[in-house]
Amino acid sequence: MLPHIIKDKVDEILRCIITSLNAGLSVVDKNLNIIWTNENLPRMLYLKYNPVGKKCYEVYGCECKCVSDCSSIGSLPSDNRRVSDIQFITEKGSRKFIKNISIPVRDEKGVVMYFLKLSIDVSEREEKISQLSLLRKFADMMQGTLHIDRLLHLILTCVTAGTALGFNRARLFLVDMERHVVYGKMAVGPSSYEEAVKVWSEITSKYESLEDLINACEDKYQEDSPLHVITRLMVYSLANESEPIVSCIKSKKIIWGKNAFHDPTISKNFVNMLGADEFVCVPLIARGEVIGVICVDNLYSKKIITEEQVQMLVTVASRAALAIENAEAYKKLEEKINQLEEAQERLISSERLAVIGNMAAYIAHEIRNPLVTIGGFARNILRAPNQDAYVRQGAEIIVEEVNRLEKILANITDFGKPLIPAKDVFQVNDLLENTCSLMEPYFKNNNIRLVRKFNTSMPSVMMDATQIKQVFVNLMKNAVEAMMNGGLLTVETTVENKCVKVDVTDTGKGMSVETIQRIFDPFFTTKEDGTGIGLAVSKKIVDEHRGSIVVKSSGQSGTTFSVYLPIKTE
Amino acid sequence: MQKKILVVEDDKNQILLYQHELTLEGYNVITAKDGSEAVKMVKERSPDLVMMDINMPKMNGIEAMGKILGEQRKIPIIINTAYSCYKDNFMSWSADAYIIKSSDLTELKAKIKELLAKNG
Repeated sequence: MLPHIIKDKVDEILRCIITSLNAGLSVVDKNLNIIWTNENLPRMLYLKYNPVGKKCYEVYGCECKCVSDCSSIGSLPSDNRRVSDIQFITEKGSRKFIKNISIPVRDEKGVVMYFLKLSIDVSEREEKISQLSLLRKFADMMQGTLHIDRLLHLILTCVTAGTALGFNRARLFLVDMERHVVYGKMAVGPSSYEEAVKVWSEITSKYESLEDLINACEDKYQEDSPLHVITRLMVYSLANESEPIVSCIKSKKIIWGKNAFHDPTISKNFVNMLGADEFVCVPLIARGEVIGVICVDNLYSKKIITEEQVQMLVTVASRAALAIENAEAYKKLEEKINQLEEAQERLISSERLAVIGNMAAYIAHEIRNPLVTIGGFARNILRAPNQDAYVRQGAEIIVEEVNRLEKILANITDFGKPLIPAKDVFQVNDLLENTCSLMEPYFKNNNIRLVRKFNTSMPSVMMDATQIKQVFVNLMKNAVEAMMNGGLLTVETTVENKCVKVDVTDTGKGMSVETIQRIFDPFFTTKEDGTGIGLAVSKKIVDEHRGSIVVKSSGQSGTTFSVYLPIKTE
Repeated sequence: MQKKILVVEDDKNQILLYQHELTLEGYNVITAKDGSEAVKMVKERSPDLVMMDINMPKMNGIEAMGKILGEQRKIPIIINTAYSCYKDNFMSWSADAYIIKSSDLTELKAKIKELLAKNG
């Protein structure tokens, strides 16, 4: 009940309330006709016409199309207020959220005649909730991605997705302190207006949510789009502060270029590469250091970039920077772990070899002594005249076998010796040419045709030429022995992964998978009279040179041994 | 004058072999079965050359060689051993040659001849 003092002033008070209220008001009858509104309502709903006389659902854009469907009408039988939400996009592209509260109005007899519809603009609050939700989604997605290129593509996809930040194109630049430059790493976005229209309509029809789009684009980071290719050509010296990207890094501030084509303060070189009249560069700052820049534009939609969008981009960039730093730290950690694992394998392998070496030395010593006696006396017998023919023959056999055993012992003890290479600068082609020439008669005798494919511009290698020559001789001998009826031996040199690579390929019967797995094991051999030492020693020599030796075989025809030796660095 | 060679070796069969072979070469061969006996023999019998095994009981060949060279005038010493791993070290022991034992005594005989000729 109103106090007596203001009963006479009710009309005036109501008028004040209606005019000062920052909300839309309308009165709707039982047939959903709007019979009155305040001035705020048409402004709030961005109406270009007078809503009085129109149907409620036409003006509010409700889903209901008749009285029985209307949720507001549902409030009439009781005193309960009904709340409904509507949202729409304005001509300028802003999303609006309106909360509508329907309150029944009764006459003196208590019969509901109308309902009052109060409309409150909650766009700002909804926008903030939506942004927070997006940031959370974004942070969750980035946390789950430690692969650096996938992460960068994810960031740029989120920046350009319509359901997220919605920029047309986004480029990511990273700082390289070693080379003192900032370089284009990756870009996402269409390369032409036609492509833009096609992609946007495809995305709208296929993907309902940001997560769906991200999942679909998971492997697209490997694709080389035209925009991506152009971006990778963009490299700027960190000393050149006239470039917007560099200026963004040095100042740690946003660079917002408007009317860029005509702005004399913006580098023409950059604007021409970018091709857009308006752009925003936002620094990626992790733990106080700028690690890169995200650069965005709306080249095709021509939509003006808003302050809210830029602020959202800054927030995204700060999280992205930390995620990128984590991914790079993870990558370095992975590399270190791989190096440690390789070092551990080498250590285990060399420990095993040391044990074998020790064992070999012990066995050699224990066997050699009796051999000396057996062989020595056998020779004695051979030299003595008038010996029985049978005894003589026996002595000859003993001498022969002792010679054989002594050779085997020599091989075994050679393997156990530590191999410390005495390195100097050499050309692999020269060494190979020398080896091939030396072995020409051997190839000829075994009906082998040698083909040389030496790359003419080969860098130098630090190596012990004697030891590496031994490796090549071992490989070529093995190749010849694999081609018992003759064949083709190809020796090829190339450069691969900062190494000189030598391929020795035969056209023999190839190796089984089981043989390939054990081929470098000491004392493993597939030959009747083999010692199983040659390839094990070769691998040991190559390992000591910080190189590697691998084998490929089809199992049907031919085997290739590849020796990698690191290129000499300055 | 007939040259005297001290063969230091714990394997009795090898002693027989070296004794036989080197006598055929015209040398006077005396023997010791371990390092301490070798040191005694060098003092008492003054051989022209010592052929020393490494792995022996009581005193090994390296220790014996050290004592011999420390007390006597320089006497040519050939290390004759089944070990191949010490070949790079023998010079630091002041030995004159390192022969890896073999049933073929050609190299050993040649080295003995060479060192005796050098020492006069």
